[in-house]
Amino acid sequence: MNRKADISKDAALAMLRCMLLARRIEERMVRLYHQGQIFGGVYTGIGQEAIGTATTSAAGPDDLFAPCIRDMTVHVGRGTTALTIFRQFLGRVTGPTRGRDGNVHYGEIERGVFSMISHLGAMLPVVTGGVMARRRLGRDTIGFAYIGDGGTSTGDFHEAINFAAVLDVPVIFVVENNQFAYSTPTSYQFRCKNLVERAAGYGIEGFTADGNDAWALRELVSKLAAKMRQQPRPVLLVCETLRMRGHGEHDDASYIPRELLAAWAKRDPIALLRERITQAQFATATELAALEQAVQTEVDESYQQALNDPLPDAATLTEGVYADG
Amino acid sequence: MPTAEITFLEAIRQALQRLLRERSEVVLYGQDIGSFGGAFKVTAGLQKEFGAARVFDTPISESAILGSAIGMATQGLRPVVEMQFADFMMTAVHQLLNNASTLHYRTGIAAPMTVRAPCGGGFGGGPFHSEELETFFCHMPGIKVVYPAFPADARALLYSAVMDPNPVVYLENKYLYRHVKEWLPNDWMPTPLGVARVCRPGTDAVVLTYGAMVHEALRAAEQLAAEDVGEVMVLDLRTLKPLDTDAIVAAVAATNRVLIVHEGWHTSGFGAELAAVVAERAFHLLDAPVGRLTAPDCPIPFAPELEKAYRPDAEKIHKALVELLEY
Repeated sequence: MNRKADISKDAALAMLRCMLLARRIEERMVRLYHQGQIFGGVYTGIGQEAIGTATTSAAGPDDLFAPCIRDMTVHVGRGTTALTIFRQFLGRVTGPTRGRDGNVHYGEIERGVFSMISHLGAMLPVVTGGVMARRRLGRDTIGFAYIGDGGTSTGDFHEAINFAAVLDVPVIFVVENNQFAYSTPTSYQFRCKNLVERAAGYGIEGFTADGNDAWALRELVSKLAAKMRQQPRPVLLVCETLRMRGHGEHDDASYIPRELLAAWAKRDPIALLRERITQAQFATATELAALEQAVQTEVDESYQQALNDPLPDAATLTEGVYADG
Repeated sequence: MPTAEITFLEAIRQALQRLLRERSEVVLYGQDIGSFGGAFKVTAGLQKEFGAARVFDTPISESAILGSAIGMATQGLRPVVEMQFADFMMTAVHQLLNNASTLHYRTGIAAPMTVRAPCGGGFGGGPFHSEELETFFCHMPGIKVVYPAFPADARALLYSAVMDPNPVVYLENKYLYRHVKEWLPNDWMPTPLGVARVCRPGTDAVVLTYGAMVHEALRAAEQLAAEDVGEVMVLDLRTLKPLDTDAIVAAVAATNRVLIVHEGWHTSGFGAELAAVVAERAFHLLDAPVGRLTAPDCPIPFAPELEKAYRPDAEKIHKALVELLEY
């Protein structure tokens, strides 16, 4: 296959930047957590960056997203800045939830991204309804709903997919099968051979993909998205990957076999995309080094700027519970 | 002005019809509400008039219904969803509590959505078609709870509920659907949420209540007046959240004796909140301990003999008021 025909240089480099930025932000969060400098937990998507990156790269401007815990690349892919993310994690009043919610519970709806809540599966019906509304109002919107392998065991996973199937709502239900739900392996989560088998039960198409190969995943999602805009139907997309750290930074992931981690470490999504970019001669080693440096500078500066931002005023505690009107 | 005698149910239907006519962003959905017109026929004829894009059926998926309404409401529509029975809403209550009730506080994004939920007993519905759950919804921040007792209010408050920028739970006591009628003008104005109404004046005691119990309280009050025992005010709260606490204090000031009546369970029922409001704001005005007449803390029974014993009614309210007035 001639990959150059499918992915432009700009798109490929934007995907690499997206993954690098998320990785560097999360590495900083991890360090801050272990230094006791961050309030609350830190949950990362290290090793899973390709999924949010490729799906947002293949999406259109009017599409809607319901990212899950490990999807910082969905936010970055939609244009959320490192500064916004640090403000959120540091509980600053300038952040997207103004200190009212923390860590991964944020999203800039003006970029089409809903704020997730902790309850797995709960956002799948929400993004489905958002897509229904936008399409009714004449917009060419499809939805991207992200869930882990553990989240597929929830009632909302079933309700949302069946609801979207019956009502012909074009949402890509992206299952990130990272092999562990907190400490629970998939053998305690489901008995089908592969989660994609569930698509048949909903009367929709299902696809599997390598969740670490951003390039190939983007090609697949571009095709799916184009088809869904013509024939509005949901699809199930199961992406195989591995969570490379614990559920959160409080968790040492001792239950994940070391050989498994070592095998997936060789398939790091950033390294894979860098190889593809090099093969395609989209960038020289010098240019890639410059990109890495620019990302690191952005992370460092954003963190410092967020640190200097104001904290919420306790006097505002009960403000904004209701919308005025 | 032209008028017509309409049922509580017809009043709700008229409000939905007017909203669909006047507001292109309003959509209705739920189980069996389309061509069938709903389990109680509240939406009869609306799909035919407005089309299946605006009035449509869904699978039996309460969480998907509530969750999708949240998403829709953030994206320019004004969904009005029907829970076939309030009882079934509890399978999906996490969407209201965790998503809807926190949304504006967390993100500043409004979700103008209305959840219509037929509730209450008195017709042999048994434990799973008679539940009275308002106190669960009132406990959630960020949610408004409306509970009308008369056709005029059902119509006027539903319009306001749907136009409110917040998630609103609109409770429809099923007993009222066909039992209560009013002569009403064909032209009408919406009524603001959060305002109680004195539906019977009185000087000797006040019944704080809502929903079907308003009518039971009115019957008891009329009987007490006929018996020359006393003149009892009935305050119909109409909206439980936000609660019209000023009207409650004014009613206590005018009567000095309070009986709280509701159809839901006793412990941590909404009556406990009402009693707390009276204790906090009107303790100095009381001549007698606050009375609470509620359902007992037991599941809702099926057999008529048991359900009659379970549910407060005019007879029980009469007895409680006599005791209160004698204190």
